[in-house]
Amino acid sequence: MKEIIRTEGLGKYFGELAAVHEVNFTLREGIFTSIIGPNGAGKTTLVNLLSGYLLPDRGKIFFRETDITKVRPDQRVKLGISRSFQIMNIFPRLSVFQNILLPVLSRRNENFRPFSALKGHKEAVEETEKILQEVWLGEERDLPAGKLSHGDQRLLELGIALATNPQLCFLDEPSSGMNPIERVKVLELVKKLSSERKTTFAIVEHDMDVVFSLSDWIVVMNRGEILAEGKPEDIRSNQEVRDIYLGEEI
Amino acid sequence: MKKTLMILFLIALLSLLPFFVGKYILYMTIHILLLSLFALGFNLLFGYTGLLSFGQAGFYGVGAYACAKILLVVPSLLLGILGGVAVAGLVSLLLGLLSIRHTRIYFSMLTLCFGMMIFSLAWKWRDMTGGDDGLVGIPRAPLEIPGLFRINMAAMESYYYVVLVFSILAIFIFYRLVNSPLGLTLQGIRDSETRAACVGISVRNYRLISFTIAGLYAGLAGALLPPLENTVTPPVAHWSHSAEPVLATLLGGIYTFAGPIVGSFLFYIIKDIIVRFTEYWLICLGIIVLVLVLGFRGGVVSIFSQKGDR
Repeated sequence: MKEIIRTEGLGKYFGELAAVHEVNFTLREGIFTSIIGPNGAGKTTLVNLLSGYLLPDRGKIFFRETDITKVRPDQRVKLGISRSFQIMNIFPRLSVFQNILLPVLSRRNENFRPFSALKGHKEAVEETEKILQEVWLGEERDLPAGKLSHGDQRLLELGIALATNPQLCFLDEPSSGMNPIERVKVLELVKKLSSERKTTFAIVEHDMDVVFSLSDWIVVMNRGEILAEGKPEDIRSNQEVRDIYLGEEI
Repeated sequence: MKKTLMILFLIALLSLLPFFVGKYILYMTIHILLLSLFALGFNLLFGYTGLLSFGQAGFYGVGAYACAKILLVVPSLLLGILGGVAVAGLVSLLLGLLSIRHTRIYFSMLTLCFGMMIFSLAWKWRDMTGGDDGLVGIPRAPLEIPGLFRINMAAMESYYYVVLVFSILAIFIFYRLVNSPLGLTLQGIRDSETRAACVGISVRNYRLISFTIAGLYAGLAGALLPPLENTVTPPVAHWSHSAEPVLATLLGGIYTFAGPIVGSFLFYIIKDIIVRFTEYWLICLGIIVLVLVLGFRGGVVSIFSQKGDR
């Protein structure tokens, strides 16, 4: 499989704290990857660095062999990197439909049309409707996004991330705050989308059952560094990984 | 359909106004229209983009002074107004480049500072602006396109129609703008700039566009003032003048298209009524705004549309 993103000696430091330190890893195209680790391991910081939300203090990031270390988040989206956030990040005052339409218009470079009516962008509208169906929000399309239930807002976040038609999509705890049934449903949806679309997904997730059942590859982080990476069965039998999870069954 | 009919009725009513009312009402209506344009521009920044500017009076002042200077040299109303708008737009573009790098209170303070710098220029640059005396004797020049038409503007009724046409055009353009992909993009930035950036939107560029358009609207409102008053003085650029569109927008409704227009109307009505009883009319206005902000965050418009945020 071709590599899609690669880091070399990536580091991010907040004062004395090494949130991410000397991280060298590669994500491969079409491989469903999970990034796991205890709280404070640096998973979200790593996603923030890869998506451009944070700039690294050290190291380099390559997306399809192009150095994107200093590329702005909006430009990374144009290259094909998308993400969702650990803490809900949608457009709460816009309708569900508009939440998806906005990234669709952005991808099609149709944002700066000061006098054209939204309805006139027929292809963008059709695509938006399709994505709404994909993430099961067709019936909620006209509701303000802020009024949706937590689970539906998580689905909407997923929809927003997909609407940019990414090649690589990071989902930071896409099922946090959901009940176990919703959680399995959402993650299965993610898996389904990853097989239907030409998108490589990398998720940060705490639910080990889900992680081990869905992932093709697992990256384990601890204290800002990569502790181990490999296939689920290799990670399951790794003693160091077991130790950082305090002997929990994983 | 109902909305269209209402708008057409309102335009017809405003068009026929000079036949039914006296000069004072007409004069006040012009001021309401000017404040509406001023507040619409402000609301593009605040309600649609999420940036609270305290310096919009600066651009209003630039529009007013630029128009006045042009009219004092070339007696062409159209040139004066369009020139005023263009200069205000250019100044807002330049100051926007410096301001939009920041958000929240830092943005507000920067705009306040830039606004007061413009005020200071108006106050101190006597050779250009007339200092504290301002510019006087500004002619209400004829509206003309050489070879095509020439309309005398001596009567206030004539000038009222010029203001009305400019206002209708500007409001129509604004309506198209906020309902376009550009308007949606600005609202997205208002709701979450990080999310907007992570869907591929260059937040700074769009903020600059919003800032410049807001400056153009403030400039248009300002440019329409000197031919009415025949004078322009530094207080038009003072920060306290920037509070007028803020109050009008809060009164009418922040997140609605019509809010600033309705708010401007209410602002002048309240002012006109209360000022007859007490010189402390601003206290009464403040109380009304407080009640609205605490009880009906969506402003008066939301009370009727029942979409207000309580």
